[in-house]
Amino acid sequence: MVETLFEDIFTVTQKDPDGKKFDRVNRIEARSEQFDMFMLLDINTEIYPMCVKEKFMMVLASTLNLDGTPDTGYFIQGNKKSLADKFEYVMHGKLYRISEEGSGKHVKADIFVSFGGLLMQLRGDPSIAAKFELDQRLFLLIRKV
Amino acid sequence: MKRREETIQVTKQPYIEDVGPRKIKSIQFSLFSESEILKQAEVEVFKAAYYESTKKPIPNGLLDPHMGPPNKNGHCETCHGNFRECPGHYGYLVLALPVYNVGYLGTVVDILKCICKCCSSILLNDKERREYLKNMRNPKTEFLKKSYLQKKVVQRCTAMTTGQKTVACSNCGYMNGMVKKGQIKILHERGNRFLDEPNAAIAHKREIRSSVSVPPELDPKTVYSLFKNMSDEDCELLYLSDRPEKLLVTSIPVPPISIRPSVFVDGGTQSNENDISERLKKIIFANAGLLEEMSDPNPYSRSLNLWINLQMEVAQYINSDVRGVPVQMQATTPLSGFTQRLKGKQGRFRGNLSGKRVEYTGRTVISPDPNLKITEVAIPILMARILTYPERVSQHNIEKLRQCVRNGPNKYPGAKFIRHPDGTEISLMFSSRKRHADELKFGYIVDRHLEDGDIVLFNRQPSLHRMSIMSHRARIMPWRTLRFNESVCNPYNADFDGDEMNMHVPQTEEARTEALMLMGVQNNLCTPKSGEILVASTQDFLTSSFLITRKDTFYDRASFTLICSYMGDAMDPIDLPTPAFIKPVELWTGKQLFGVLLRPYSKMRVYVNLTVTEKSYSGKEETMCPSDGFVYFRNSELISGQLGKATLGNGNKDGLYSVLLRDYKSHAAATCMNRLAKLSARWIGNHGFSIGIDDVTPGETLVKQKQGEIDRNYKKCEDCIQQFNEGKLAVQPGCDAAQTLEAEVTMSLNKVRDDIGKICMKALHWRNSPLIMSQCGSKGSPINISQMIACVGQQSVGGRRAPDGFIDRSLPHFPFKSKFPAAKGFVAHSFFDGLSATEFFFHTMGGREGLVDTAVKTADTGYMSRRLMKALEDLAVYYDSTVRNASACIVQFMYGDDGMDPSQMEEKKGRPLNFSRLFMKVKATCPPGGEKSLSYSEICGIVNERLSYHDMSPEGGCSEAFRASLSDFLIKNLAETLKKLREVLLLGEEQYAGDGREYLENIALNISGITKKQLQVFLNTCISRYHLKRLESGTAIGAIGAQSIGEPGTQMTLKTFHFAGVASMNVTLGVPRIKEIINAAKNITTPIITAKLLSSSNLTVARMIKARIEKTLLGQVAKSIKIVMASRLASIVISLDMETIQVSQLCIDAYTVKQSILTSKLKVKEHQVKVLNPRKLEVFPHADKDKLHFELHRLKNKLPSVVVKGITMVQRAVVNKEQQKDRKSDVKGETYELLVEGTGLLAVMGIEGVDGRNTKSNHIMEVQQTLGIEAARVSIIDEINYTMSSHGMTIDLRHMMLLADLMTYKGEILGITRHGVQKMKDSVLMLASFEKTTDHLFNASVNGRDDKIEGVSECIIMGIPMQIGTGMFKLRQCVEQVELNYQSDPMIS
Repeated sequence: MVETLFEDIFTVTQKDPDGKKFDRVNRIEARSEQFDMFMLLDINTEIYPMCVKEKFMMVLASTLNLDGTPDTGYFIQGNKKSLADKFEYVMHGKLYRISEEGSGKHVKADIFVSFGGLLMQLRGDPSIAAKFELDQRLFLLIRKV
Repeated sequence: MKRREETIQVTKQPYIEDVGPRKIKSIQFSLFSESEILKQAEVEVFKAAYYESTKKPIPNGLLDPHMGPPNKNGHCETCHGNFRECPGHYGYLVLALPVYNVGYLGTVVDILKCICKCCSSILLNDKERREYLKNMRNPKTEFLKKSYLQKKVVQRCTAMTTGQKTVACSNCGYMNGMVKKGQIKILHERGNRFLDEPNAAIAHKREIRSSVSVPPELDPKTVYSLFKNMSDEDCELLYLSDRPEKLLVTSIPVPPISIRPSVFVDGGTQSNENDISERLKKIIFANAGLLEEMSDPNPYSRSLNLWINLQMEVAQYINSDVRGVPVQMQATTPLSGFTQRLKGKQGRFRGNLSGKRVEYTGRTVISPDPNLKITEVAIPILMARILTYPERVSQHNIEKLRQCVRNGPNKYPGAKFIRHPDGTEISLMFSSRKRHADELKFGYIVDRHLEDGDIVLFNRQPSLHRMSIMSHRARIMPWRTLRFNESVCNPYNADFDGDEMNMHVPQTEEARTEALMLMGVQNNLCTPKSGEILVASTQDFLTSSFLITRKDTFYDRASFTLICSYMGDAMDPIDLPTPAFIKPVELWTGKQLFGVLLRPYSKMRVYVNLTVTEKSYSGKEETMCPSDGFVYFRNSELISGQLGKATLGNGNKDGLYSVLLRDYKSHAAATCMNRLAKLSARWIGNHGFSIGIDDVTPGETLVKQKQGEIDRNYKKCEDCIQQFNEGKLAVQPGCDAAQTLEAEVTMSLNKVRDDIGKICMKALHWRNSPLIMSQCGSKGSPINISQMIACVGQQSVGGRRAPDGFIDRSLPHFPFKSKFPAAKGFVAHSFFDGLSATEFFFHTMGGREGLVDTAVKTADTGYMSRRLMKALEDLAVYYDSTVRNASACIVQFMYGDDGMDPSQMEEKKGRPLNFSRLFMKVKATCPPGGEKSLSYSEICGIVNERLSYHDMSPEGGCSEAFRASLSDFLIKNLAETLKKLREVLLLGEEQYAGDGREYLENIALNISGITKKQLQVFLNTCISRYHLKRLESGTAIGAIGAQSIGEPGTQMTLKTFHFAGVASMNVTLGVPRIKEIINAAKNITTPIITAKLLSSSNLTVARMIKARIEKTLLGQVAKSIKIVMASRLASIVISLDMETIQVSQLCIDAYTVKQSILTSKLKVKEHQVKVLNPRKLEVFPHADKDKLHFELHRLKNKLPSVVVKGITMVQRAVVNKEQQKDRKSDVKGETYELLVEGTGLLAVMGIEGVDGRNTKSNHIMEVQQTLGIEAARVSIIDEINYTMSSHGMTIDLRHMMLLADLMTYKGEILGITRHGVQKMKDSVLMLASFEKTTDHLFNASVNGRDDKIEGVSECIIMGIPMQIGTGMFKLRQCVEQVELNYQSDPMIS
């Protein structure tokens, strides 16, 4: 089985916290169960509708190849078996920023990923952020639970 | 010039050495003497006629063939050349009596003022004379000093004879009176006392009753003989380089016919003569009449009248506008004289010498074509067939040129001429082209039609800055317009509503290369005004980019690849990025498209890193901004943000194109613009974007909201008006009640439109076209939308609400004295609703003001730019990095104190580099790659080591400021934040090793750490880039500066006034203010002194000082001023109102008042004022008894206006409150300063409590007088900067520094006017081409000036390449001496 970078189950707490701005894209606010992570994520609700209180499993991986070989960066179409097969919604993007919030014991680390302009902010314990690197290519995989 | 018959036939031609082309080194101005005129002339002209009846020119007439052929059929009788060959020859005309030359009249008067009118010796005494002569003869005395001395001498001599004074000549004892200039005559008033004796003598005779009166006139003949008698030494003293008698006209050179051509009209029946010829004819008539009368033996001739007649004619010959010509002699259409030929815009100097007509040009209407590259211009075939380029035949182009020759002049691509190396020219119009094509040889030159890739110069008037003329590459295309990419509209300020543009074709390879390198569009993407990008995407390109990068635009494979292919001409490979959505469907986002646009394939190594905040940015959360207003490019991928004008448009320093230009040079930026232009033109063509009536139809909620907003503000205004009527309105500082009301009402009404605009922006659907356009910045503003949809808003005329055009009301539709919004020009309707009749009228009032303002402004700024250009044109950077003018006087030792090129400055405030952006780029492009982060001390160590290298020292060409800012950025900002971060993460100062918290190290590095490699790369990039930004030697930085200050003038819109902190205290702004500063005006409209206070936080102290500065009159502090009549004497008793004095904290008592009365202009003496007690004093009038009463009343009336305290020049002072935020403690402190309206800087600074060191004035001349020239320089810079920035214009400080330095470098402030420029420049030709053309020329010839052709204007006039830019350096080649072998050639070698 392929090594994933992050795996958790989230619950949608709010939709469009700053008001609806776009027709087909909604920003959801979600909290995770296992690591108590906070997440803001832009989702294309036209192709993958999502409502408040829905639960979903989210996985971040650096490659979709089942054997764990790194992603080439080039996109090849084809019906190869991949990690995506088990998920309903898969996005590809780039990690562009890591920052810290708070101080001392309550310090939290933020990681920011852009999936072609759809953004994700994942906030949680610094130890989780340590696995990520800047400019890393990431796949975000979602499956409703 | 071939003198066929007169050539001396010699058996051997004399040897004439070929010295190569000759160069004009200098021009000497001098006076023309009679003998020189005669020597030069070929024929005497004395017949006032042109042609005989046979149409042959009359000999000795005005068209004598000795002076050149009068028309095409004639021959010159002097050189026997025909009409084309003969350059023309002079004739002469001897006058019967000398007359004045109007140009020299002033000089003649000046000389006459200084000499004795009997013996011609100078009036000064011997000692003085020698002193002046010594100074004048000093070889170090330069021109300005000499003319100053000459003026001094004239002044001294005039002073002796002012008014009725007369002075006896020290030489002969003749009494000299005052010499005055009359109307083309000179008066010498010696008074009538000299006539006493003859009058007395006459009085004995009964027959003649009348007394004798001698006309006080000095006639030219006497003057001539006086001048002839003058000694050479005296001439020298008066700065005359030549004999003064040459200043009078005794004979006239008749100019050659070629400069006064005679033209046959009406099929040759009549001839049309030039004005000069006509005038000469009149002179000959007058002269002949005079001669006749002089030869008349009758002594009672009226010769004097004819002499005057001749004088007038000669005067008008030189200057037809001369004053003093009697009305009967003035023609309805005056014949223009020589002065008229030279002066003015169309005159010889400005019209023909400084600006010349050129060939190889074209002009038509322009139109846009986004498919062209930004460096290209489409030229219609019609034009390309006429414009040619001479191409030399070589083995590479012979076949192409053969084809061109075969095609001939009418078929594109063809050729017009062939030129052989020996100079023969063959026209291809008629001759057999095929044969010529076959005979084409290497080295021939073919004038071929313009073809693709040729370099042309493209220009649009008005050419306000150097980007108004740029070089493009030609693209020959069908149809009839010149076309170019819309991205290049900005530098030309062109639109396509019928604009026309010019193009020129450089004709040599050198010219082409220089044009390409210096004027190419690619090399002029940035304006040197501020370093902002000028060539950038506009209009539709912005709209489509905005729509494409919207967060919810998704494309499937088909459409994404289609759009990718829009970008280019299918010549580049494109690597498809991984789609953002893989499941449930494969989708790409619009933002990914921009990643492709910037970096289409992975081998292209362009990594753009930038952050920009767009208009819609909410101000927090950076990339996570909910409205997607934070643009972030990371390694050429668009991470977030919807692109708009801030990123892609012009006028920005950290937009996409600026970053591309700085990091990857102009080619990358240009290709990116090309791609975007193509992409958006094609994309928006498919997508569609239009505007219709439904876009401006307001919704129901919007109408309601708008009405609510208007009603609320109406209510507010009504309340204010009510309060005003009841007299309860709280008054603003420095205003009265009416002003306060006006200010408040205006403020709330002006706010309505903006508020409604905001509501509109919120209420409209996102697909609304005007909304999209205003959001992305392509066209329109929220105000425009608000005006169309909701409310047009307040109309203003002259910065206030609509004025009263009728008695006490603006229009008769409203009640008298109505102050309500609608009665004062508030338009509540929108353009969609339609305006009511009164609203419409108010709207036209505002509209007209705008039109008038633009019309007036263009003329004003045009003249300002011209003056600036003339003053600054010859300043250039020399090889020792100084800025000097043409005569090599140093104006600045180092341009802008650091020698940087303003067009390459990356930072917003004009500093060379934007460190934080560069740092971000370095971090993004050099990933740490396993290296460890540096600690605080390590960073400091590396930085300090690098900064100690040679290239960071002043000798290595690095300014101290840059060094300081670099180390400041690295140590203070970077290292400190790292230190803080480590504290936050509970990490120590040094690296952890082997601890469980290693992951924290990793995070720290990712967040704000820096590796050694990154730091080194950063330092090296900064330093090497800094050194590349130095200004090149030879740059005409003066001209650039003049354009940079002149060009923004045209954009300064209405808003000639601005509140300086306090309402009602206005400061002049805009073009009028710039004009004041540049002219160094003595009186400015709003002089304001800003006085800082020593204890700035205390309001009472501020009020106290204010009271001391403002003038207090005696009447204001006196309780009473009474006339007291006692039996023995009368007096005025003043009693002071001590309470008021105490309240306003003025230190006044009777003693100080006494002093004030004594120093005032009342002419009251010390003993007349008596202090009774500290609050009472008595003033006694000093007069005879009969006038006592009047004197008493005079004093009583005048005394209240005596200034007892304060500064007389000050109009008023206002306390200004300033909120000051303390950054550390967040405590809002209020500080006070005084704004003083009026002059008197010295007095204000001297007032107790005023912080003299921080007190400023906006009056430059006053600053110079009180604080000196350096302070004036700084205040010029500050004032220009303030004026420009309050109009939202950024101009590099270096330009203003140069201007200020030029205005002050002589030690006094020289305005950029004709008086100032005269003192800055010493070239006659330059001054003549500027203003007062003939005055300068006449003076130059009197003083015998020598013009070395050095400056820009002179070189253009003489047609010599100028010593600036690429013409600054001289190339000297070391050529080995050719050894000549004089031995006989060896037969066999």
